[in-house]
Amino acid sequence: MIILFLTSGLLLGWSLGANDAANVFGSAVGSKMLSFRKAAIIASVFVIIGAVVQGAGASDTLGRLGSVNAIGGSFTVALAAAIVVYMMTKFSLPVSTTQAIVGAIIGWNLFTGNPTDAGTLTRILSTWVSGPVLGAVFAVILYILLKALKRKSAIHLVRFESWIRTGLIIVGAFGAYSLGANNIANVMGVFIPAFDLHPLDLKLFSLSSQQQLFLIGSLAIAAGIITYSHRVMQQVGNNIMELSSESAFVVVLSQALVLFIFSSSALSALVQKAGLPPIPMVPVSSTQVVIGSIIGIGLYRGARNINFRVIGDIAAGWVLTPLIAGILTFFSLFFVKNIFGIDVGSKTIGTSPVSLPSTEADPRISEIMQYLILGLIVVGLIAILFYYLLERKKNTELKKSEEKFWKNMK
Amino acid sequence: MAIFTRTTKNLILKIDEFFDNIDLGLLVFREGIKAYLAGDTEAFGRHIQKVELLENNADRLQRSIENEMITHSILPQHRGEVSSLIDLLDEIIDTIKASLTEFSIESPDIPASLHHHFISITEASVSAGEELIPAARAFFKSPHTVREKLLKVYYFESETDKVIKNAIKIIFHDMKELDLAHKAHLRYVIHHIGNISDNAQKAADMLSIMAIKIVM
Repeated sequence: MIILFLTSGLLLGWSLGANDAANVFGSAVGSKMLSFRKAAIIASVFVIIGAVVQGAGASDTLGRLGSVNAIGGSFTVALAAAIVVYMMTKFSLPVSTTQAIVGAIIGWNLFTGNPTDAGTLTRILSTWVSGPVLGAVFAVILYILLKALKRKSAIHLVRFESWIRTGLIIVGAFGAYSLGANNIANVMGVFIPAFDLHPLDLKLFSLSSQQQLFLIGSLAIAAGIITYSHRVMQQVGNNIMELSSESAFVVVLSQALVLFIFSSSALSALVQKAGLPPIPMVPVSSTQVVIGSIIGIGLYRGARNINFRVIGDIAAGWVLTPLIAGILTFFSLFFVKNIFGIDVGSKTIGTSPVSLPSTEADPRISEIMQYLILGLIVVGLIAILFYYLLERKKNTELKKSEEKFWKNMK
Repeated sequence: MAIFTRTTKNLILKIDEFFDNIDLGLLVFREGIKAYLAGDTEAFGRHIQKVELLENNADRLQRSIENEMITHSILPQHRGEVSSLIDLLDEIIDTIKASLTEFSIESPDIPASLHHHFISITEASVSAGEELIPAARAFFKSPHTVREKLLKVYYFESETDKVIKNAIKIIFHDMKELDLAHKAHLRYVIHHIGNISDNAQKAADMLSIMAIKIVM
């Protein structure tokens, strides 16, 4: 039953993968610098690593916004957010998973009569503005630096593009890592208070209950990337403005940096040490940061390049996403509670976040998880081997056809 | 990654070698025409052979560059334009070969009084092509300098037109001793030499747009 409840989170993870991975590699794939297959593999691997290794920071903030304290509530919140993200992705509207989940949590707060922590909400909302602004600033600075470097070094165009491609792979991996670290909270954050799993010892390393949840969620994100993100990737970037290869690189890098800044506890501690206010650990919308970065470059190059109509649609989406998610959650909770009779959570005393685990550590679930993870590792290794063999076959065929061509020419 | 780096290096070398071929082809053409006018058939034959070799090599390099760009997804955004540019440059060496072959087969009878006009036309036309090569190389390394380099191409192209017009005027107005077929043949040969600068101008137009796009 518990695993069944998780499916809504997995659906949200899938939607996030389908939609947000496009933010990381969309500009690279859209500008034809990287093939979709390569991009999807890199994004999937690094999203999983980021989520498991560094996913905890941003999820605490979501927990403070509204601590969904029953598994039925978590299920409904995640489902409503997933439906909103899926529907908007389906209609090719850029949507933020962060906004959907925040709207859904506020919907839960309203339904259960829990107060919404105004401070946390303000912090999240402020990053919705600072995220794209920071993205734009980073993008402009990086773009100027890259252009100056290219001009000064008089590097051959072919070599420059080759470096950009290598850079895109590295920065894209970093971006995917940051996406996993920052956005896994959107997918699995609402399930944390309701789940308590045994730590999983995998000999080389062990995974806590939260990390196991994040691993499952990130696998769903990877599935979304592989199965559905291709279409969105082709649209990102070129919709707002036609991107050159160096613009694509700059957009991916600035997005990765912004996401990393808002999910690195170590960086926040470093800033605090320097006597500055700490960086809020908030799930930032990668969509917003990417759009901010593209607009930044567009403005620098002259606003004529920008398609302002698309920006208008995006802005409308930013307002509508949390609103629709909130309303949908509110009504869904009503149905789940009154028609199916499932506990969706209750009002907590005071305003402090309270965690009420609805499940106790169940050895059977941990066992299932162990087998699941092992199975996934094996499948992953087989997939990598298959990909390698496929690439080798393709290269051999190309070489043969070229040899044949020159033989015929002679 | 190592394989990719090697591919990049190979492609750069091939592009450079292609430009060298065109550059050398122009030089050999100039010398070939001079040898023809001087009546040095041996040197002229040697120049034709050299041009044929260069043209074959340029064709092989052109295909190889296009193949590598497609199979290894190199320069995905500029691939089409780079291919078109290489195609236009290849047309220059094709014209050179065709023109020298015409001299070899048709052996046009060029009156001595027209020799210096033919040399001027060849110099101007070849110079337009020669000025194009540094501009094409600059597109890959310092695209912001391309447009200033192209100015010379446009200058020599218009110079070629002027000297061609002047030579044809002399042939048809002043040289009454020549029959019409002879005059038409000379005009035909002159236009073929002039085609080099016309092709250079076409490539320059393309290069100019490419440079603007990449600098923006």
